[in-house]
Amino acid sequence: MPRAQAMWSSFKHQALIFLADPQWIIPNIIAPFVLTLVALMLFRDVTGPVVLYAVLGGGMMGMWGNTLYSSGWSIESDRWNGTLESVLATPSPLIWIIAGRTMWNALIGIINAILIFVIAEVVFHAPVSIADPLLFFLALFLTLLSLSALGLVFCSFFVLTRSGRVLTNGLEFPIYVGTGTMFPIALLPFWTHPLSLSLGPTWGIDAMRYAAIEGYAGLEIGFAGDMLVMFALTGVYLAISIWLFVVMEKRARRDATLGRY
Amino acid sequence: MGSNLSRSARVFWSSAVLAKKALFSWLSPSLWLMQLFTLSLFQIAFFVYVTKYVDNPDISITYVAVGNALQSIAYVSVFSVSNITSEEKWQGTLTPILATPANRFSLFIGRAMFQIFNGILTVAIAFFYAAVIFGVDFSNTDMVSLILVVLVTSFAMTGFGLMISSLGLYLRTAMVIANIFLFIGLLLCGVNFPVSYLPSWLQPISHAIPMTYGTDAARAAVSGSSVFDISGLLLQELAVGIVALVVGYILFMVFENVARRKGTMEEF
Repeated sequence: MPRAQAMWSSFKHQALIFLADPQWIIPNIIAPFVLTLVALMLFRDVTGPVVLYAVLGGGMMGMWGNTLYSSGWSIESDRWNGTLESVLATPSPLIWIIAGRTMWNALIGIINAILIFVIAEVVFHAPVSIADPLLFFLALFLTLLSLSALGLVFCSFFVLTRSGRVLTNGLEFPIYVGTGTMFPIALLPFWTHPLSLSLGPTWGIDAMRYAAIEGYAGLEIGFAGDMLVMFALTGVYLAISIWLFVVMEKRARRDATLGRY
Repeated sequence: MGSNLSRSARVFWSSAVLAKKALFSWLSPSLWLMQLFTLSLFQIAFFVYVTKYVDNPDISITYVAVGNALQSIAYVSVFSVSNITSEEKWQGTLTPILATPANRFSLFIGRAMFQIFNGILTVAIAFFYAAVIFGVDFSNTDMVSLILVVLVTSFAMTGFGLMISSLGLYLRTAMVIANIFLFIGLLLCGVNFPVSYLPSWLQPISHAIPMTYGTDAARAAVSGSSVFDISGLLLQELAVGIVALVVGYILFMVFENVARRKGTMEEF
């Protein structure tokens, strides 16, 4: 219970920080937003469900952009503000505190995705008709959880490094490419496919396409298959991130490098 | 006159050396190299695969790969340069710097110098990827023209970045604007599709950003145009870059005055 309380307090704290300075949402969403607009310009003479690739991909990129930057900055902002040592000195393990922050960021991530869908529909008149809205939102929500778990894995490394910002910038496009946000991963070189398939969001975006596009046949294991694989991979990410947080936290305490900047 | 010039040159050089040292005091060389070699690769890959999937007959892989290779300069010349004043604020060094009588122009141009070098390296690597990984044919390329395009674009975009950086003196941080201008070029500067695709009210904004001329000039150079053929584009790009630099300098002086008067130099 105290751990859940720590997580809840961290969630509320993150919400207050966000509300105190909401301009920080711009760096988080600007890239996915612009990339979606560029894709919609490229797709301008194309009609039919193919356009949905751009819109759904934009939504997924919005969620990843937000998750990645929030994870990257979570530890980095503590380091800058000089609060990292205090946070680690509390009896609650760091992962519960970060998890609370991640939950808030995930909530904002959903808003990002919905914002992109609305702009695509209203400004670009892209056909955002979803074949099965219930399954679609289920896939959207679970994809966000999977992205958050992936973000936690990266975040654990940022405990040790003062270069979280640089790494964050470098991780944005690789995930957009690797998960095939706006194109089928079959277009990627064959040797990259195992890497793509080891990313939970690859299955998540495929599940979203199954739910949104009638007659879609992507990775050919169906909606339920996609969800199961994504669920399993998310579990693996969570297990890795819990282990990594413990290891990294111990190492940072032992080497006394937490506030090194 | 002569001593003023040599003082400015000294400020410029020490500022450039310090900026490089400051960068590598927190960024390890291995991470810098990683950034140098990966940033452009995945950006080009993303748009090349989207283009392959869309199969728009007006837009070829070469068009997109060359545009994105040149635009990768924005990561350093726009994003890093824009954040110069904000970084000084965060580190608490802005006030001591502005308390010195050093010429501001030399000081901040000096700060951006390493990023010009960094930008040129980034683009060179990006063009290498365009050729080796994405199969862009450089056999007809006029190399002198292409090198000149990269040099002019790097200089002009750094001027543009310094203009945004001036806003960081007034605003809490330039990071938000830097992020907007880092990516907005993908949409406005003819990187992935012709500027004519944009609504007519947006096109003048495209022509106020040096990169728009750079992407056209780079494509022309890749298809074999000589320096003479692209001189018009290069001159326009250079002119826009110089205007941005001058506007940035004026803004800097105005905001410095405002900050001194109001005592808000490090308010953020």
